Amino acid sequence: MIQRLLPFFTLIVLFVGLSLASPYFLTYTNLSSVVRQTAVINTMALGMTMIIIAGGIDLSVGAVLAFSGLLGTMAMEAGLPIPYAIAVGLLCGLFWGLTNGLLITQLKINPFIVTLGTLGIARGLTLIISNGLPVHRIPREFSFLGEGNLLGVPFVLWLLVFCAGLTHLLLEHTRLGRYAFAIGSNPEAAYYTGIPVAFHTTAVYAYSGLLCGLAGMIEASRLMTGQPTAGQGYELQVIAAVVIGGGSLRGGEGSVLGTLIGAFIMGLLSNGSDLLGISPYLQQAIIGAVIILAVAVDELRKRKLG
Amino acid sequence: MLLEMRGIRKRFGGVVALHDGRLAVEAGEVHLLVGENGAGKSTLVKIAAGMLGADAGEMIWQGRRVRFQRPADAAAEGIAMVHQESLLAPHLSVAENIFLGREPRLPLGVVNRRRMREAAARLIEEHRFPLKPEWRVERLNPAGKQLVEICRAVQHGSSLLIFDEPTSALSGAETAEVFRIVRRLRERGMGVIYITHRLEELRHLGDRLTILRDGATVYAGPAGELTTEQIIRHMVGRELTAIYQRTPQPPGEELLRVEGLTRKPALHSVSFVLRAGEILGLAGLVGAGRTELCRALFGLDPVEQGRVWVEGRPVRIRSPREAVRAGLALIPEDRQRNGLAPRLPLGWNLTSAALDLVSRYGFLRAAEERRQWDDYIRRLRIRAESPRQLAGRLSGGNQQKVVMAKWLLRRARIFLFDEPARGIDVGAKAEVFQLMDELARAGAGILMVSSELPELVQVADRILVMRQGRLTAELGRGATQEEIMRYATLQTQGALWQGGEAAGQQEHS
Repeated sequence: MIQRLLPFFTLIVLFVGLSLASPYFLTYTNLSSVVRQTAVINTMALGMTMIIIAGGIDLSVGAVLAFSGLLGTMAMEAGLPIPYAIAVGLLCGLFWGLTNGLLITQLKINPFIVTLGTLGIARGLTLIISNGLPVHRIPREFSFLGEGNLLGVPFVLWLLVFCAGLTHLLLEHTRLGRYAFAIGSNPEAAYYTGIPVAFHTTAVYAYSGLLCGLAGMIEASRLMTGQPTAGQGYELQVIAAVVIGGGSLRGGEGSVLGTLIGAFIMGLLSNGSDLLGISPYLQQAIIGAVIILAVAVDELRKRKLG
Repeated sequence: MLLEMRGIRKRFGGVVALHDGRLAVEAGEVHLLVGENGAGKSTLVKIAAGMLGADAGEMIWQGRRVRFQRPADAAAEGIAMVHQESLLAPHLSVAENIFLGREPRLPLGVVNRRRMREAAARLIEEHRFPLKPEWRVERLNPAGKQLVEICRAVQHGSSLLIFDEPTSALSGAETAEVFRIVRRLRERGMGVIYITHRLEELRHLGDRLTILRDGATVYAGPAGELTTEQIIRHMVGRELTAIYQRTPQPPGEELLRVEGLTRKPALHSVSFVLRAGEILGLAGLVGAGRTELCRALFGLDPVEQGRVWVEGRPVRIRSPREAVRAGLALIPEDRQRNGLAPRLPLGWNLTSAALDLVSRYGFLRAAEERRQWDDYIRRLRIRAESPRQLAGRLSGGNQQKVVMAKWLLRRARIFLFDEPARGIDVGAKAEVFQLMDELARAGAGILMVSSELPELVQVADRILVMRQGRLTAELGRGATQEEIMRYATLQTQGALWQGGEAAGQQEHS
C-alpha cells in the first residue's frame, strides 16, 4: 500500500522541497503557470490512460494535437465563431482517434505500428495544409481558453477537473471502462467472453482523440497561433505521465488520479529545474530517470506480491 | 541413495510453501510424488533442480551435501526436469530444441547442423518417438512437445529425471507411451521423480511413493502398499467415499442439435443432440478434434459445412459474441489464458459476461453488481477473501468456479466444458462435478470434454467418442473405459503431427 502511494508522496516531497528551495515557487503566478503548462499534457494523458488500460498505445497524440490546433485556428481565421472553431478542433481529434481505433481493430494491426503511421500522416497533412506556416490571425478572445481565469483560477484547471472527472466516471462506473480493463488485462479472455472487443477498443481511441483535439485547441490558445510543428515529442511525455502514475503497458492497470499525479510530477520537475537554474538538457535526463525509477518500483512491488 | 532431501523449508513472501519437505530417491527407481495443488510438490522438485533455493534443510546428492544456486548447477550434476508447461523454443526445429545451448560446433563456433540432425535422428530412433528432427516445435501438440523435452533431458546424460505432471496434457495412448519411456529410463539405472494428479495411473508405474500435504511429507514408502482411497486420504487428510456421484436425470427438451459440422482437417461431419438436464461426455485422444468441436460451436473457428439448432431454432454462430447471445458458454481448457483476467478482481470477472444485466444506460449499478458478486460467491462456494481479490490469486478450483459463475450470471443454458477438472486438486474436483450436476438439474445441457476416462464414466449420461475428427461411437451409461478406449484408438499413427510444412526444409536443398 505504501508503495502504491509512492507517486503521491513523491509529488508532495517535490512540492515541499521546491517551496523550501525557491522563494518563487509558492507564488500564485508560478503555480498557475505550472497548471497552464501541464494542462495540455494532462488532458492528453487522460485519454492515454484509458488506451493503456485497454492494452493499447497511441504515438500519434502530438501530431493529432497539431492537426486539430491548426484546423481549429484556420476555422477562426476563416471567420467561424470561436465555439464552432473549437468544435472543429475537437472533431479533428475525434476523426484521428476513430481512424486509429478502426485501423487497429479492423485490420488487426498492432497499435504501436498503426499510431506510428498516423503520427506521420497527421503531421504530414498538417504541414501540407499549412504549407509549414503558422496561423496568426486569431481573435484575441480565444486566449481565454488557455490563459484566462475563472473565479481566480486558471480556466484550464476547471477544464482539466471536468475532463478528469468525466474520464474517471467512464473508467470506473461504465461498461466501457470495465470492458477497457477486461480487454487490456486479457484480450483473449475478453473475446471468449463475448465482449464486443472491437467496438470498445475503437471507442477508447476515439475518446482519446477527442481529448487530443481539445488539447490542440488549448495549446493553440496558449501560443495564440496554429503551429503546424506543435506537440512534437508530446507522446513520450504523455505516456510517461501515465506510466509514472501506475499505468502498465501490459494493460489492465492505471487510474485517472495516478495519471494526474504523474503529469504533475513531471510538471514540477520541469518547473523546479527552471527555478533552480538547472539546464533544460539535464531536465530531460532527470525526467527519463524518473520514468525508469517509477516503473522499477512498481515492478518490484508486484514481484513481492506475486 | 541418489538424492536425499531433508527438512526442506521454503517461503514465498508470507506464504509457507514447504515447511518439512522430505524426499529420498534411489537410482533405478520411479518415485511418485503426489499431493493436492499447493501441497508443495513443484516447489520441492524445483529446489532439487536448482530453480529455487531452499530457506532451510539439507540436500544430499550421491553422498555429498549440495546446494544448487541455479538450474545449470543441477544440470551439471545430472539432474534434469521435464516441465509441466513447455519451455521449448517454438520457432525452432525438434533437433535444434534438443541441442539448444549444446549444439555440436564446427570451427569458429558455427553450428554443425548435419551432425545435430543426425544425432537427433538417432535419439528419436532409439526411443521410437513419432518425431522428425526437422519438424518445427510450434506445430507439435502438447504430447509431442513433451517427447522433445524428454529427448533433451536424456541427451544431456542425466542420472535423475524429474517429470512435473507429464501426462496432464496427454491422452491414453500417449500416456502409455510416456510410461514405456519412463520404464526404460529406470532399466538403465536412472532415477525418475514423477509428479502426477492422476492417481489411477500410479499403480502402473511407481516403485515408491512420497505424499505431500500442506508443505510437509506425510507418507513415504512402497507405492504398492496403499490403495487409491488411502492415498487420497493422505493427500486431503479426510475420508472421501466416492470422488463424485451423479444420479442421472431423465433428459428434457432438445437444447442443441448439430448436423454435419465440418472443418477440415479437424472435424468431419459431426452430428449429435444435447438435451436439457444432460451431461454429454466427449472422449478421444489429444488431436481427435474435441477442443476443435467446442471452438467451432462457440464461433471461435469458422466451419465449412454443417447446421446448428439451439432450442429448435436454426442459428449461425460466427463469433463468441453470437454464441453467448444464443445461450452458449465455453469453459475453456486453459482458464488462465482464455477463461478469466487473472490480474483483475474476481468480482469483475464474475460479471464480465453479464454487465448489461447490472448496468443501466451504460452505467454500472454498483450496489446491484455487488449483490450479484456476493450471491454467486456464496452459491458456488468460491473461497476468496473478498470480491476485490485478484482472480489469479485464487486456487485452480476456485478459478474454475469463477468461470462457471460468469456464465451462470449470463443465464447460459448450453455449457461446453473443455477438461473441467484439469489441474484442479481432488477435493475441488468433486465440487466442480457437483456444480455441473446441479447445473444439469436446473435444466442446462452440458457437453463435457475430458481425457480422464474414470471421470467421464462416472459423470456423463452418454459418451461420444471421437477419433480423427469423426464421431466413432455413442455409448450409454455403464460404458467401460476399455470400450471408450477401443473406439478412440484403433489407429493413432501420425496423431502427434498436426500437419503443415516441416521446418528446415530449406536446409535440405
